[in-house]
Amino acid sequence: MRGPRDRTWAFLLPAYGAILAVVGIPVAYSLYLSFHRWKLTTFQAGVPFVGLDNYIQAVGDDGFWHSLELTIGFMVVALVVELVLGIGLAVLLEQVFRGRRAVLILLLLPMFVTNVVIGLIWRILLSYDFGLLNWLLSVLGLPKVAWLGDPGLALWSLVIVDVWNTTAFVALLVLAGLAAVPDEPRQAARVDGASAWQTFRLITLPLLKPVIFVAVVWRTIDLFRIFDVVYSLTGGGPYNATETISVYAYNQGFASFNLGFASAISYLIILALAFILAIEYRLLGRRAT
Amino acid sequence: MRRSKRATATVYLLVVLAVLLFMFPIAWLFLTSLKPSTLTFAYPPVLVFEPTLQSYQEVLGQSDFPRYLLNSIIVGVLATVVALAIALPAGYALARMRVRGRGVLRAAALIPQMLPAIVVVIPLYMIFRSNGLLDNQLSLAFTYLALTVPISVWILSRFIEDLPVELDEAALVDGASRLQILVKVVLPLVRPGLAAAAVLCLLYTWNEFLYALILTGRDAKTAPVAIVGFMTNKEIYWGRMAAAGTVVLVPVLAFGIVAHRHLVRGLVSGSGR
Repeated sequence: MRGPRDRTWAFLLPAYGAILAVVGIPVAYSLYLSFHRWKLTTFQAGVPFVGLDNYIQAVGDDGFWHSLELTIGFMVVALVVELVLGIGLAVLLEQVFRGRRAVLILLLLPMFVTNVVIGLIWRILLSYDFGLLNWLLSVLGLPKVAWLGDPGLALWSLVIVDVWNTTAFVALLVLAGLAAVPDEPRQAARVDGASAWQTFRLITLPLLKPVIFVAVVWRTIDLFRIFDVVYSLTGGGPYNATETISVYAYNQGFASFNLGFASAISYLIILALAFILAIEYRLLGRRAT
Repeated sequence: MRRSKRATATVYLLVVLAVLLFMFPIAWLFLTSLKPSTLTFAYPPVLVFEPTLQSYQEVLGQSDFPRYLLNSIIVGVLATVVALAIALPAGYALARMRVRGRGVLRAAALIPQMLPAIVVVIPLYMIFRSNGLLDNQLSLAFTYLALTVPISVWILSRFIEDLPVELDEAALVDGASRLQILVKVVLPLVRPGLAAAAVLCLLYTWNEFLYALILTGRDAKTAPVAIVGFMTNKEIYWGRMAAAGTVVLVPVLAFGIVAHRHLVRGLVSGSGR
């Protein structure tokens, strides 16, 4: 459809100009920075071009690999748990029961909770000395657990928190997918003697693949870049045990004020995320979209 | 589908269990905020007590927290109003006009939502630093356009697509310009879309933490940054922290209830099509 004096660009320019200004230009400037040395201690003497030095330094840095590995590990574990629980929850919510609408909204609320308040809530719940969870353990006769203080455990505590935060989101996506799955093949399978589990695994699940792919993509992006909850819950500790890649970049930029290096890390983060999403697309997405 | 009595009982049991598991952390925050300060560190945790608003009085009456709440409101409202104003014409163009590279433009509106915030905020900090823009509500609101514009363009173009195209055509035949159509025909009909986009924008900006942490200091600090400030104090006052958290949470939960359908719909169609 076309009007007589359409000035399409004038309609698009303000919004896309704004996106360019607050995202496009900074990200491009970051590329420039990543090839330069900018430290708080030296920048006044000049910001020299250093070629690939920042990238070489990053690839040789144990802290970078440590963060990347733990972020990917955290992401994979949380993603799997959230998918399994989310799909289970969706199947439960697909059932007919009284108060279903209210339950849907209640279950979704954790998803809206301000990230730093999530950190606050779980600091209170997971406190070693006064926390509710440790008290529940002691009631069951179990020993107290240093949820946030034990370097071997803190990342698992983060998984628990993220599962609480976002499982309902996965469930809601899958629920939308279930609503679009036709009933006939499922009923036909049941008539032919398939068990409920067989019907689900062989008929329903394959039909849900596109929506599961969408859930995987969004959860991957959010898990990989997780910052707020980590910062407010553990601060990346104890002993860097929860220093996810965003927290690492933040520390390089704003604790060490090595901003050329932090910019190089930014680009490595984008690269790693794109790589992970590409793998997921090969595994899940091909016929999904 | 018919279910046996046992299956029905199992469904109800699991639903109740899920609701309890998902709700108790929020409920616990609320309870903690109402405890007298002598009981916040009681062990075993106290469930029955005489509720008091003491913590709220401390946070809202005797600290700078209200100022930071106000900062959050100012920045969020600014970023939302500006985003809606510029996203509406863009959304209209994407939905109705002949746009070369429409698919690319649509995808471009998703990219800012996929980028890790740290990637954008590091160069923003450098730019703001050398131009004296740090710790300023206006400049923070400007950066929040990175959150609010893409989601608004997305939602509004979808809403306008769902309006009957005949209205536009009739107006065009009558010689109306695109701008007139947008203002007189589309604007009155797209109000639910504007409301949905506004709620999401306010939600995103209200919850945002990393931009505010890096780009603001004492003056323009927002409520989430202030809360984390409370948490890293040497002396930890759980009651006050919980009260501050609850104050931040109440509008969010109210908005979440209003917006949950749009959010999910947006995400489903966002990556599906």
